[in-house]
Amino acid sequence: MLAVLVFIGILFCAMLGTPLFVVMSLAALSLFTMAGVEVSAVAVEVYRISSAPTLITIPLFTFAGYMMAESGAPKRLLKFAEAAFGWLPGGVAIVSLVVCAFFTAFTGASGVTIIALGGLLYPILEKEGYKEKFSLGLITSSGSLGLLFAPSLPIILYGLVAKVDIDKLFKAGVLPGIILIIVLSLWSVINGPKTREKRHFSVMELLSSLRAGFFEVLLPFGVLLSIYGGFVTVSEAAAFTCFYVLVVECFIYKDLDFFKDIPRVILDSMSLVGGILLILCCALGLTNYLVDEEVPMKILDLMRQFLTNKYQFLFFLNIFLLIVGCLMDIFSAIVVVVPLIIPIALEFDVHPIHLAIIFLLNLEIGYITPPVGINLFISSFRFKKSVTSLYKASVPFLILSLLVLMIITYIPKLSLFWVE
Amino acid sequence: MVLRLFNQFDKIVEKISSAGLVVSIILILLLALLNIICRWVDLAVMWIDPLVRHLVFLCTFLGGVIATGRGTHVGIDIVSKYLENNSLKRVKKGVSRIIICVSLATLVWLIYASYVFFKVELEFGKPQFLGIHSGALVFIIPFGFSLIAYRFFNQLLNSLFKNNEDESC
Repeated sequence: MLAVLVFIGILFCAMLGTPLFVVMSLAALSLFTMAGVEVSAVAVEVYRISSAPTLITIPLFTFAGYMMAESGAPKRLLKFAEAAFGWLPGGVAIVSLVVCAFFTAFTGASGVTIIALGGLLYPILEKEGYKEKFSLGLITSSGSLGLLFAPSLPIILYGLVAKVDIDKLFKAGVLPGIILIIVLSLWSVINGPKTREKRHFSVMELLSSLRAGFFEVLLPFGVLLSIYGGFVTVSEAAAFTCFYVLVVECFIYKDLDFFKDIPRVILDSMSLVGGILLILCCALGLTNYLVDEEVPMKILDLMRQFLTNKYQFLFFLNIFLLIVGCLMDIFSAIVVVVPLIIPIALEFDVHPIHLAIIFLLNLEIGYITPPVGINLFISSFRFKKSVTSLYKASVPFLILSLLVLMIITYIPKLSLFWVE
Repeated sequence: MVLRLFNQFDKIVEKISSAGLVVSIILILLLALLNIICRWVDLAVMWIDPLVRHLVFLCTFLGGVIATGRGTHVGIDIVSKYLENNSLKRVKKGVSRIIICVSLATLVWLIYASYVFFKVELEFGKPQFLGIHSGALVFIIPFGFSLIAYRFFNQLLNSLFKNNEDESC
């Protein structure tokens, strides 16, 4: 009875908007106390995160992403992408998708992409003759598009929580991520302005934009090649990337002042990182308690009464994760849900890497799922439009993303071919 | 007057945390690069890796201190969004006070839990790297939670007394 009351109380606090690290800690402290375990066990679990070998990647990649967002990199990359793809039908929309995916991969879909790039992309799309509804939907959905690409923060966090090789996760996300971009690009081509000034591909324009943003264009290729080529570990790649971006933005392009801007960028990025890692620390106690109490196995036994095979399980999992994705932030969802579903998914013979991609794609879609997908609110704030108008604008993109999700879910090879 | 004193101390906490974060991140970056260079020249410097990980651990709490001040902690904010959209300011203020109180109480509990862990570690722990005792490393937890708790406490004071003080001024 007491346990039920405590659970309802904590759930109520969570729904009110209490910081999740507090909710997790409160749950862990209460459960440990009720089980007669000394509460210092929660602190022991908190401390355990300091032994995670890839922990360093989270602050460094996030810091690098924030430095780029604060510099002139969005403009230079946009110019380059426009020169490379702008001549295609639906080119400007494709440019938006590609650049946003790139940025999200580095900033971890924390809303930075919509804030940093939305203001640049929206007038360009409007000038090209795209309808307002389409442009808003495109930018809103693009805000979380690069989640499946290295070195996205959610992938790293997933690897840490699920104890899955992060290098393999980076590889596994590439094809599903590209498929999603291709599908949305095709939709953009179909919805492109019927009458548009025909633009020709210009090698000179491409070269001049490449020259302008050479060091930033090089970055994703550098990160991917160095990790996949086996030259550096993920942690080393994070240090290199951070140092490289710092040098490029402060001393080559001189967009950021080392003494004036860098401390501000550090504080902005670390307030996000601190928030995420605190949840991770505090959730370790709770999730370990749940795993010790064999909660996943009890859920599995319950599910076995209704679900008989892998495909039914995957369908159920998608619905469950979509609900989680539109109610919870991706970072908290990873920390809370992953330890619970991994043992169940293994029982249903779902490959851990495949599960990771399904999980991340679901949460990526959750960002634009009404009523509380976070991108909808960020766009509403950024473009001063009502949230309901953004619901309508993002529905086609949501449907297409769900279609891709179905394909990725039921064709595991798409996620696993490079890993196996 | 008393409130102003608490606010000033809050600013000091913010400044110390900010400075600590900037120094820690620069150190993490430099040490991580040094570690790579050492690996290239086949030199094993054992203390770099644990030091970097503990600096990240410290940054977790200092970042949390900044996030508390900015009110940017991650949470399920369905209710607050609803209240904001429907202009229910008074209810929102009440909800915000509940959140602060729950957070503060939980943090006090966490400080107690981590202080017990710290004492155990001081007694039974041993030096980890560069001669730093494991107790000192574990102290990051009660220290970090205390800073965050103070900021919540200050928010509670401001939420309860700020309007009254403004009016009296």
